[in-house]
Amino acid sequence: MKDLMKDSIKELKRKGVDYADLRKVESRSQRIRVKNGEVEGISSSQDSGFGIRVLKDGAWGFSSSAVISEEEVERVASEALRIASASASVNKDKSKLSEEEPWVDLYQSSYSEDPFQIPLEEKIELLMKAVEAMKGDKIRVAEGSLAFDREWKLFLNTEGTEIEQVITQSGGGIVATAFDGQQVQKRSYPNSSGGDFATKGYEFVRGLKLVENAERIREEAIALLSAPECPEGETDIIIGGSQLALQVHESCGHPTELDRVLGTEISYAGGSFLGSDKLNKLQYGSNLVNITADATLEGGLGTFGYDDEGVKAQRTYLVRRGLFVGYLTSRETAPLLGQRSNGAMRADGWNRIPLIRMTNINLEPGDWNLEDLIADTREGIYLETNKSWSIDDLRLNFQFGTEIGWEIRKGKRVRMVKNPIYTGITPQFWNSLDAVCNRESWHIWGIPNCGKGEPSQIMRVAHGTSPARFRKVKVGVKR
Amino acid sequence: MIGKERILEILQGVLASSEADQTEAVFIGSQRSLTRFANNSVHQNVAERDTDVIFKVALGKRIGVASTNSLNKGELTDALREAVRIARHQVENPHFSSLPSPGEYKKVETFFEGTADFTPEERAEGVRRIFKRVEDKGLKVAGAFSTGSGEIAVLNNLGLAAYQPVSAATLRMVVSSDDSSGYADYLCRDIKELSVDDLAEVAIRKCLDSRGPRNLKPGRYDVILEPPAIGELLEWMSMIGFGARSYQEETSFLSGRLGEKIMSEKMTIYDDGNDPLGIAMPFDFEGVPKQRVYFLNKGVAQDVVYDSETANREGKVSTGHALPPSSRSGPMPLNVFVEQGNEDEEEMMASMERGILVTRFHYVNGLLNTREALFTGMTRDGTFFVEDGKVKYPIGNLRFTESMLRAFSNVEMVSKGRKAINAWWEEVGAAVVPTILIKDFNFSGKTE
Repeated sequence: MKDLMKDSIKELKRKGVDYADLRKVESRSQRIRVKNGEVEGISSSQDSGFGIRVLKDGAWGFSSSAVISEEEVERVASEALRIASASASVNKDKSKLSEEEPWVDLYQSSYSEDPFQIPLEEKIELLMKAVEAMKGDKIRVAEGSLAFDREWKLFLNTEGTEIEQVITQSGGGIVATAFDGQQVQKRSYPNSSGGDFATKGYEFVRGLKLVENAERIREEAIALLSAPECPEGETDIIIGGSQLALQVHESCGHPTELDRVLGTEISYAGGSFLGSDKLNKLQYGSNLVNITADATLEGGLGTFGYDDEGVKAQRTYLVRRGLFVGYLTSRETAPLLGQRSNGAMRADGWNRIPLIRMTNINLEPGDWNLEDLIADTREGIYLETNKSWSIDDLRLNFQFGTEIGWEIRKGKRVRMVKNPIYTGITPQFWNSLDAVCNRESWHIWGIPNCGKGEPSQIMRVAHGTSPARFRKVKVGVKR
Repeated sequence: MIGKERILEILQGVLASSEADQTEAVFIGSQRSLTRFANNSVHQNVAERDTDVIFKVALGKRIGVASTNSLNKGELTDALREAVRIARHQVENPHFSSLPSPGEYKKVETFFEGTADFTPEERAEGVRRIFKRVEDKGLKVAGAFSTGSGEIAVLNNLGLAAYQPVSAATLRMVVSSDDSSGYADYLCRDIKELSVDDLAEVAIRKCLDSRGPRNLKPGRYDVILEPPAIGELLEWMSMIGFGARSYQEETSFLSGRLGEKIMSEKMTIYDDGNDPLGIAMPFDFEGVPKQRVYFLNKGVAQDVVYDSETANREGKVSTGHALPPSSRSGPMPLNVFVEQGNEDEEEMMASMERGILVTRFHYVNGLLNTREALFTGMTRDGTFFVEDGKVKYPIGNLRFTESMLRAFSNVEMVSKGRKAINAWWEEVGAAVVPTILIKDFNFSGKTE
């Protein structure tokens, strides 16, 4: 089959395309969900297919199919060409790609324990134990889930690149939902939206210590029911790592996607305030803000060997000492800035074209110990675990809600508060950062559900963060 | 298109080999194409052919689910065996009684060849016409034009065999100037209904009317919310509150409130999968016929939608709102309607003394407090200040933070006209919603 696909790429080259690539993807996944002592669902899926992307006369065409056969490869290649011609019939400008070396390589992500070899009973037992530990008075729902994925990918292009990649990912989490007859409060561990995820094996799930944290989550969910509302006003906030991961995601990751900056997402997910006139000029944040895009980070959910244009994984700066210095780019967009791609083109499966996506976008660690940072804060709120998220179509005005907060007074956490919300304008907010915690509390948070594009694509990305402090932020803006 | 006979033949063959007590196969096939454009140029142009077959098996009350996207007999059999293997490792689900028995489905026309066979050249021609109109005004456009078809089949070994071919076309666009933007969209099953030129003119007019936006201080204002804005609110309300799972888990804004008046009597919200005014689909992913279910009837909370499992938990019957067995969301309404009112949009505008006209929301989030249906989100692509019954000037985008229970208790007018708005999955559902005038809506912030 590989030879057939190589022949197809050769044939497209013979037909005079500017460029063509083919991706064949096979994926396997397993999902396990336990709720209130019952196994709510166990599912397993297999998916495979291939897609051919063609650039001809400076215009793009893409076609894909789940049927892998000689006839279907021919049909899909022809359809991609036909679609590219239709695009060319409309376009005045021609797309060009940055240069790239032809790679021939095999990349396999590493793991200690193959998650697909761990018996189902063991996974169910882990979740059952964690859920049992969360049960209790006022706990309406105690639930846990695990997810395992493996993707085999073959990438060929007309420039001689031939890459195979095998990537294995694991993750999970637990949630306790408390109800007192009037209100509902949730606590999630280690993160909301399904927990935490990594490009690792079952050893990552063992390391989550779901059972060991279940009781604490239960107690916090119950305590939130009687906790006071988060006060309204302007105050200092310390944002915990997992919430800060989403803050980085929405207010730095997305606005630095160069395709979004160029307007290609405007009709759907919006644009970006980080226009090219701001590159190397805008003080995006305080000089403690260093944000990197690093697809080489060990175990990150956005870690790979090569992106879906065959560009080798890289580490680059997006923000350095607060200055906005870089975008996430592709082979098509990078030349517009006189650059080569930094390898951020990723596709959600064989039936989607690659788009510029986040990899592992990280707020680099600072010097503070978390307890020292709290002790250094006269008045403020410590916020943890995302509950809601919203940001405007240029990625400026944001509002986040978190599951829990603690008021800080005179350097001490004095009481828990519920329903915290904070809001701000992206560059003002990042310029108010005055402390970042050190590598001891730095963690790579896996986000498995980043949406973008039409037809919609879901991408797995990650953010390395440690808690950080922001001065004079508007909080509690509920009504 | 594979066709009804062939799909049923393939799946019945596999089902016959099942070792499980009960076996269900859900087939979802799709052939979709999409032309995406920005800066008056096509930047993505894609096509896909995919199938998904999901097996759900029951060994007594132990359930297993496995899927494959191959129609190869060997791989289908492997997936079925995997589902049985999973079921063997499962614990009993006390809320499972049986897969559904065969039902009677209403006949609704959901497939149009003209949509299914629409070509890349025809989409290119449509896009070229949009570019021409936009360029004539010195503006830019970004958007997506998608056409496609699908086949949905549900079979089980109790004799249930449901099949429905579907087609859908969607065009949406944002027309932009240096300081403004305007939005328009259209969704239909039959592409003959779609007028590319008319839609482009709506977006162009919105964009031109939005030029030179002024700042407006956040606060409470009367608002006219156009269908795309209402549609997004309804999508979130469906996710957090109209399904039996959130109702049973007490996280829904309807939990404990059935029979109570919680919104204005002008608000009647229901789901109807058989109404061709929307994107009709007569059965759910268990093959159960869809029932009309009223969530709010003249402001009174009335019911939620069920699949077989959530219905069993309450000793009820499914209302025909199951999602595919691999989904974790529980039952969901995919064809939500807000009942039309008596006014037209001009009358609404004329009645407004001082307020805001919202074309569309952006990035709405309904998870702030689900029991209060407390939502936040931004306006975009056409937000206007209205005074003395007329649009006075465009304004910069505002953030709202508001309880939908409160907002929909303050409804003053509901329009006669309604429009289908894209929901989660355009081939099998859409929200059909009017324009609504709401008093005293809370805008909590603004952008720069």
